[in-house]
Amino acid sequence: MGYLNNSVVTVDAILTTKGRELLAKNDGSFRITQFAFADDEIDYTLYNPTHPSGSAFYGEAIQNMPLLEAFPQETQIMKYKLATLPRGTAKLPVLNLGYSAITLKQGASLAITPQTLNYLGNAQAYETSGYSATISDVRLMSTFTGIGINTTAAQTSNAPITTTLGTNVSQTIIGSQINLRATTVNTLFGTNTQLSATITFVGLDSGARLTIPVLINKTIV
Amino acid sequence: MSFKRLDPEDFLVSSDSIVNTLWSTDTPTLTTFFTSSIQIASSAGTYYYSVYQTGSTLSNAAVQFDIAYADSKGSGSVLYNNAVPGVSPTKTIYGQYRSMILEDENSSFTFGKGTNIYTTDNFWVINFERARYKQSLFPGSLNLKLSGSNGIINLTDDSVDNPVSQFLGSTRVYQLISGSNGTAGSLANSGYVASSGSYGLVFPDLGTILLNPVAVSQSIRVSPSRSNNSDGLNNQKLFTAIDLGDSFTINSQETLTSDYVFVRARNSEFNYSENPSFISGSTGEVIYDDFINAPQVYLTTIGMYNDSNELVAVAKMSRPLLKDFTKEALVRVKLDF
Repeated sequence: MGYLNNSVVTVDAILTTKGRELLAKNDGSFRITQFAFADDEIDYTLYNPTHPSGSAFYGEAIQNMPLLEAFPQETQIMKYKLATLPRGTAKLPVLNLGYSAITLKQGASLAITPQTLNYLGNAQAYETSGYSATISDVRLMSTFTGIGINTTAAQTSNAPITTTLGTNVSQTIIGSQINLRATTVNTLFGTNTQLSATITFVGLDSGARLTIPVLINKTIV
Repeated sequence: MSFKRLDPEDFLVSSDSIVNTLWSTDTPTLTTFFTSSIQIASSAGTYYYSVYQTGSTLSNAAVQFDIAYADSKGSGSVLYNNAVPGVSPTKTIYGQYRSMILEDENSSFTFGKGTNIYTTDNFWVINFERARYKQSLFPGSLNLKLSGSNGIINLTDDSVDNPVSQFLGSTRVYQLISGSNGTAGSLANSGYVASSGSYGLVFPDLGTILLNPVAVSQSIRVSPSRSNNSDGLNNQKLFTAIDLGDSFTINSQETLTSDYVFVRARNSEFNYSENPSFISGSTGEVIYDDFINAPQVYLTTIGMYNDSNELVAVAKMSRPLLKDFTKEALVRVKLDF
């Protein structure tokens, strides 16, 4: 008879760049209220359900892998969230934006209405809690707002920014529709004719995630 | 759902005392001591000497502590102005510590307690760099050797012999006595000097030690100059005594407050993944048929979010943790502030 290992796993957390920003604001926005799990770094093609040594070894190539330390940049981590779905789910929720990339001229506008495929037995659905959209550099947009969702989270996220932005800072908004308007500020371009960033959409109910590139073309006068 | 709300009982704040070596050499004992001729020649040098662990011009040189001399009559240093007698840097230093510790401009420092006390109007100061001692000196860890023409004395605080905290004004204080590791052991006079009180006072929360010149002089014949309107080189005298003693041991102490968050995944939760390698193609079908009813996912990362779904803190596991419908996970996430 052996002893059971009853120890609790303890891990050290680091603050993300966004966490430090919110802590510095000192307005109560740095308040942890929920959590999520992710399986970043895992490649499930390494899982081998035909392993000759049997089922105990199916995950052999995954479960002993060394993991990287956490990245403080919030857009580079928690990419692939674990989702709570009914047993027997054959298809996982997938986001459909209608765009695989966004290219805008200076001052041009665009409205995106994400949909979720394969969610709760529906081929297509709009998630009740809405969608979050995180742009990696909010300076590229003169308007970046979410509409259609009236939860507290959405109202907090969609409040106007009061921070002076001296560098690329991400911003997250929530809505059923995401409205974008490209910046009209020329100085951001410097000598370049194009600015680039990414927008990551996450279905707040399903956890489905999709990142697309955003390009802003300078209007040459 | 991929987010799970935390309950109030999932949070725990814990404050723990962390004791560490004080010196930037990361060793308990400092055995080499250096001053900087540039610092001594500067205007600050008229007040105090900075002591380094290595030559001050080397790239890894860092100030470990400062030495100063205080005299209520202004003796031992050059007057600011000859027209104003008795007012010099040593008087400034004296007033500084009297104001900070005694909190009464009419009081004097008294070394020792009980029947063996000595009141004096001058003292040496050893003031540790704040970055070195962090929050406070760790009582019982002090072992300082001073060398003079009459031999060597080993000094320590009396925190083991007198564990109940004493206060001078609002400041915690221990007596500096002859002995080691916080106790005088079997030494005579409980480590005090006969008729001269203790060797000094140790203020852990100020990172400061005051030395009683009378006791030090009586023991090893190192005494400050109390000449009027001339530099008595008193800072140099204490530095030499420490340097020749070759051994200065003391630890730092700080209270580290940690926020623990307990995150729990029930057996029915977090069993599917949005990882692109978990699905095949763009239709979202799971990669293996086995995963439809018995999915196996590997948890690597825990994200902590605020109400706006903003990722404010993140933790990584040391190795992937298998999660399926037959397993529950309990992870304690530690946030240090």
